[in-house]
Amino acid sequence: MTTRATPATSVTEPDISADARPQRDGNGQRPSPNPLREGLRLDRMPEPCTMIIIGATGDLTLRKLGPALYNLMLGGFLPGEFSVVGFARREMTDDQFRDHLLEGINEYSRNRPVNAAVWDSFAQGVAYHRGEFHDPAAYQELAKRLDRLDRDRGTSGNRLFYLAVPPTLYPEIVKQLGAAGLTASGEERPEGTKRGWSRVIVEKPFGFDLVSAGKLNREINQVFDESQVYRIDHYLGKETVQNLAVFRFGNGLFEPIWNRRYIDSVQITVAETVGVEGRGEFYDQTGALRDIVQNHGLQLLTVFAMEPPVEFKAQDLRDEKVKVLRAVKPMTRSDVAANVVRGQYVSGWVEGEKVHAYRDEPEVAPDSQTETFVAMKVAIDSWRWAGVPFYIRTGKTLATRATEISVQFKRAPLALFARAGTPAIDPNILAIRIQPDEGILLRFGAKVPGQGLQIRSVNMDFRYGSSFAVDSPDAYETLLLDAMIGDPSLFTRGDEVERAWEILEPVLKAWAGGEGGALHFYAGGTWGPPAADELLERDGRQWRRP
Amino acid sequence: MTNPDAPQQQPGKPQPVADGAEREQAVHRRLMRFGEGETLATPVWEQRGTTVRAVEAQLMTLWHVPVRQLIQGDESVDTTELAHARASVLNLIVTVLDESAAERVVKTMMGLGARHPSRAIVLVANHEASGDSVDARISVHCQTPTGGGERVCYEQVILTVRGEAASHLAGVVAPLLIHDLPTLVWWPGAPPIGHPVFEQLVGIADRLIVDSSDFGDLLVGFRRLGSLRRRTGVGDLSWERLGPLQELTAQFFDTPRFRRYLPNLNRLLIRYAAGPQGRPEHVVASGDDVAPGVASPLSQAMLYAGWLATRLGWKRYRTIQPLTDGAARLRLEGRYEMVDLIIEPQPVEQLPPGELVQLRLRSLGETGAAEFIIDRDARQATVATNADGMTASLRRTAVPEDTESHLLSQQLVVESHELVYEAALRAAAILLASAQPGDSGTE
Repeated sequence: MTTRATPATSVTEPDISADARPQRDGNGQRPSPNPLREGLRLDRMPEPCTMIIIGATGDLTLRKLGPALYNLMLGGFLPGEFSVVGFARREMTDDQFRDHLLEGINEYSRNRPVNAAVWDSFAQGVAYHRGEFHDPAAYQELAKRLDRLDRDRGTSGNRLFYLAVPPTLYPEIVKQLGAAGLTASGEERPEGTKRGWSRVIVEKPFGFDLVSAGKLNREINQVFDESQVYRIDHYLGKETVQNLAVFRFGNGLFEPIWNRRYIDSVQITVAETVGVEGRGEFYDQTGALRDIVQNHGLQLLTVFAMEPPVEFKAQDLRDEKVKVLRAVKPMTRSDVAANVVRGQYVSGWVEGEKVHAYRDEPEVAPDSQTETFVAMKVAIDSWRWAGVPFYIRTGKTLATRATEISVQFKRAPLALFARAGTPAIDPNILAIRIQPDEGILLRFGAKVPGQGLQIRSVNMDFRYGSSFAVDSPDAYETLLLDAMIGDPSLFTRGDEVERAWEILEPVLKAWAGGEGGALHFYAGGTWGPPAADELLERDGRQWRRP
Repeated sequence: MTNPDAPQQQPGKPQPVADGAEREQAVHRRLMRFGEGETLATPVWEQRGTTVRAVEAQLMTLWHVPVRQLIQGDESVDTTELAHARASVLNLIVTVLDESAAERVVKTMMGLGARHPSRAIVLVANHEASGDSVDARISVHCQTPTGGGERVCYEQVILTVRGEAASHLAGVVAPLLIHDLPTLVWWPGAPPIGHPVFEQLVGIADRLIVDSSDFGDLLVGFRRLGSLRRRTGVGDLSWERLGPLQELTAQFFDTPRFRRYLPNLNRLLIRYAAGPQGRPEHVVASGDDVAPGVASPLSQAMLYAGWLATRLGWKRYRTIQPLTDGAARLRLEGRYEMVDLIIEPQPVEQLPPGELVQLRLRSLGETGAAEFIIDRDARQATVATNADGMTASLRRTAVPEDTESHLLSQQLVVESHELVYEAALRAAAILLASAQPGDSGTE
């Protein structure tokens, strides 16, 4: 060891910061990135802001929003200035609203019991504002209160409105927010700060058909610019989209075979074992096509089929997703009967329990024609997918709860091992399971050990749970944080919503007009009506049993 | 002049040296606690005086045990799951030199199992034994992850290697690794960098995991780790412990209006826990978690300072107060301001020595002074900002668990080199050298 004495003066040592990366002056998106973020596990945290929950006394706040915000606070993802204002018709004090939130957190949070110190710090920023949704004065008062909050808590005029109300109220509330001057979103200041942003989150269902969705979009866009609108589909807040994108674009192995040359067909299944669970009135007006296919079904289709985006950023991702929807071959009304099967469940047994027929559910019309099951064949007329059928099915009270995409590959060009009397080898299957047990399964042929040449299909099975036994955040946590940060990647854009409705429009019209094939009945606990099987058998294929 | 590259410690020869056989037995007793409370998927296979080849053969057949035999072995085993349940994402080699390390390894690895199913090979080396021999114990453990989900099973191999063979641990362990999986060496305690046994083991690994707060001589340890990294990725549990505080620090400057203060920081105060008597001391075990022996409680403080210095481009300028009783004061040269770096121990009861308890970053912005404060106790942190003499924003957050299992599991997902850590490590060595009395700090 050297024994030279420490010189007390001026020893500059350039290599101490030799590895400090040059301070980037920005990539055109953010002027000066935070140099301390490099190498940390998170990209950034939101700026100080206030989240205003409109319809704050409802179930969504109790079960989802309150717990999600608390968990974000607990994890240290929200700045100290973060504030919440509940807005609803019910008479309530600030303290009562805090108790209401706390009750929900105690009941539904994934982190329990509540950490008292974190809750106290969070609760200081929680307030309640009573008002009627159609009363302009209530919004004026709200605006004043928010201004006071900005001053007292330093929330910098950043506001996130969450419309936790039925969609029929969206236009009125949005109009009132606009009239009260609450929707202006700030521009960048020269020094890189913003003047305060305003964003709005709306829940699905977004529209009832193409016309109503278009109308709703226009009404919202009269007040909020599209860049301020965050349409939530909690399905996209799950890890699914990122996992699927990583699987496709993070591996050199799969992308080259992700096209019509190697893929024979694709099946998308969103199967539920539950019935309508007390939502009879809503469901009877909605049906499986609107409830699942229009959003979750087509979302899975777009992420599966999209071209690689230029960057993994909101604008590029959503552009690519819309391109897929634009390439979906339009159906004529006469195509509907040939390509779409609708079903409704009658009584049966699911998971060992008896289920009643759909028409016997409370609040469901005794002669209801609403579909609880849909199977449909969709074609994507793109360079990549021409000629590859996509089969989408969803239903209630089916045999198993499963959401998956399964890819059937083309058979080997020559049946080298075929012998008289032996069945052909099964095609290779790649199944991307989303729930439960998220994972990826590859099915291929292997020789049965022993004399002779027998081939049997075997599974190569990967489960996320086996390799990453970590606690995933709730979808609402991910989505609320993204909205506060201003990253709309996992939210649905207006044109995307409308294009999805446009694809389904011929089906809805045909069914409304009594065309498009009969309503088939299926017993609860089965895989839907036989007509759904025939849809594939006609093409020489069959549904996978997830 | 002493040679700084001489091994700090001989593997298998911790001080004070207990009688070899006695120590081995004590280690063995501790290690037998592996898997308490877990389901064993297959009967334990145990053999004294065996060969590596026999162990290898046994590992090969482990998952081919006929179903009937398994049921006889353990009635509780759900054999239908076995075909799926085995999971391996990495090979983890752990070296155990003494009884306290064995205790620590057992607790940590049991907390790790379901999170990182791995083939874990625990090596117990006993150089003092006469004659070469290998004892082996193989067990398969299954856990259901917290929060439900599928049972995950993984294998553990404990090898006691005696005599001459103990000097060739890499050769013993290499045939037992699962091919094509990342291999990590976790060395609890001070690693004998430079010693052939250690070097050979690191040679077969993709990544070495240590805890720099275990180092007997922090400066020598930092320097050697820095020299190692060109070949192998290095993970440091001490660095991992800083994660939540780094996150909180970065959050101050995510807000654009505060970011402008960052280049003008002119004072950084770091207070670290120093045990109840106010003196850094060695703690072995407390509560449920085994607190790592804190030989170098300065480690986290130095790494934190090194981190900010490299991120913000601070350079060493001069020593104001050399290291005395765990406290030091340095002046650094920032981009625009001179920065006073003050490191002080603080007596705290609830936190293990070395944990950072208070961080204060002071800045002279264009419009006035600002201070960014993090005060930490056992499971919570208070975060506050005083900027421009008007805004005081205060909040409390939870500090996530930092059991050694948790830290290790975080480190296991890091791929090979962590550039920000490696830069911070080199800077920490330079800062520590400048703080050390009577050391010029030349590399």
